[in-house]
Amino acid sequence: MTDAALSQGPTSRGGPSYWPIWRAIGKWAGLFMLGLIYFPLVWLMLLSFSANPLSGIPGSFTSTHFRALFASTDWHQPLLASVVIGLIVGLVCAVVATVVGRAVPSLARPGRTLLLFVLPLFVPGMSMGAALFIFARSVLDLKLGFWSIALGHFVWAFPFALLIILVVTTRFDHRLVEAGRDLGASGWRVFWDIEFPILMPGIVSAALFGFLMSFNEVMRTIFLRGTAETMPVWNWVQAAAQQSQVPIIFALSTIVLAVTLPLLCGVFWLLFAKLDKS
Amino acid sequence: MTMISAASEGEAGPVSRPRLGLRQWAARTNWVLGLILLAWFVLVIVPLAVLFSFSFFETKSYFTIYRPSLNTWISLFESGRFEVTLRTLRIALTVTLIELLVAYPFALWLAKGCRSKTLRAVLIALLTIPFFLDTSSRTIIWRAILGQNGLVNSLLMQAGLTDAPVEWLLYSEVSVHFGLVVSLFPPMALPIYMAIGLIDDELIKASDDLGATPWQTFSRIVLPLSLPGVMAGVVFTLGPALAAWVEPGMLGGGFVNLLSNSIESAYTALRYPVVAALSTFVILLLLALLGAMMLVARRFGDLSSSFRVLKG
Repeated sequence: MTDAALSQGPTSRGGPSYWPIWRAIGKWAGLFMLGLIYFPLVWLMLLSFSANPLSGIPGSFTSTHFRALFASTDWHQPLLASVVIGLIVGLVCAVVATVVGRAVPSLARPGRTLLLFVLPLFVPGMSMGAALFIFARSVLDLKLGFWSIALGHFVWAFPFALLIILVVTTRFDHRLVEAGRDLGASGWRVFWDIEFPILMPGIVSAALFGFLMSFNEVMRTIFLRGTAETMPVWNWVQAAAQQSQVPIIFALSTIVLAVTLPLLCGVFWLLFAKLDKS
Repeated sequence: MTMISAASEGEAGPVSRPRLGLRQWAARTNWVLGLILLAWFVLVIVPLAVLFSFSFFETKSYFTIYRPSLNTWISLFESGRFEVTLRTLRIALTVTLIELLVAYPFALWLAKGCRSKTLRAVLIALLTIPFFLDTSSRTIIWRAILGQNGLVNSLLMQAGLTDAPVEWLLYSEVSVHFGLVVSLFPPMALPIYMAIGLIDDELIKASDDLGATPWQTFSRIVLPLSLPGVMAGVVFTLGPALAAWVEPGMLGGGFVNLLSNSIESAYTALRYPVVAALSTFVILLLLALLGAMMLVARRFGDLSSSFRVLKG
């Protein structure tokens, strides 16, 4: 039992975290950065309810900007476009990533294939957008629009979806499939009744991640949109063009955050709580 | 991020997988995989190759001339673009360095010093969530915080530290640095955390037991083994920083021109070869900086062993 007591040790004694001062610096510097990431979101929500958001200080709370937002219809089309593109990208990501994620671990050299699939992670968004734009517009002479935005988003979101699926497929116990076959189930049934339910949390997370990556993408969309507009681009154009539109964008962003944040917490609950059990 | 752990676990996959009976199924999946690979090749590799070759064409009165020449590349280093390149490099490197200095100790604490499992899970979730949030609305809010009558200036003036609002807080290089440092923190911290998390506690304990000082344990064991994470973090920070567009646009107020602005103005002027050359240039800069980093990193540890996980 002394071993058990000792094994508690490394986490507290290990490495330079042995020095309390370094541990404290590391911890608080990181927490401060996290604060800097999340504080603006809170401030944004507060300002969207303030009478005069452009002053920069929240005060005299009102729902004027939300009413102005609902009175205007300009943002309906970009929002709808973003949601539809996001849904398509999420769905395609989940299906393709499941197929690839199941196949890659059984390949002779999975590393190379994997590297090819995650390559877009290493290419700056602007360069990838420009590459796809020149390829589609100048070489293939296609008219850009929603389809090219969706393709660009897919290239961006797919590596993430694949990495998430790989977390579940590499853990999958193939003896289960073997057992199902021995008991006489068909290939499709084995997949549907045994493999699919176990891979489910990964597949759902991949779809949700795909949706959210697409829903908030700006850099690639700028190049690939043609005349179409998605919501982040609409936000960007409005914010850059006129200051008077900013309160409405704050209100819209608040609504989007109120929807996305619980969704993301759901994904993490799926990934951490469910996967840790299995 | 997950790539490292996924690939290393994948090594065990082919061995434990039964060959019998699965062959048909595997054959069919691989046929589909081949098609997907082909489509992916057309979607990713071909456009990048086209981008590269387009940079050798040039534009004359709004028409692209399809004759190979180096004119576009030469023009990149004239007309003030060289200054823009230097500024972009300086800002991107400063931001990456700041991220590294803040993220490394934090990742170390998170991986080895944080005792509560729940707290760790929450912090990792908090680090991941920003990847999925809209950058433009997250960045535009800094205008309200850093502006002339924003939160920071109000606090400073109320505290009596300044009489007039501090002007360099917004629409300056400072605010661009600031915006980039905030938004690029998760991509630096997460890969480093993953790499340090994979280091076996037994190694650290053994080093302690053999009488190494904490500094020796850190410099000989923790640092070399965490290098792949540092490299990944640098890729995910330096790349976006070199191509940053939202932050300089929203917080630079037109005073901070970076390569991305040049790309955008060439794009609106329909000068596609210039767009191609600048975009290729950003990729090449990233590759060159990474190559330099790898040379430096080789002095600290055996990098080939770090990349073994990728080869599978």
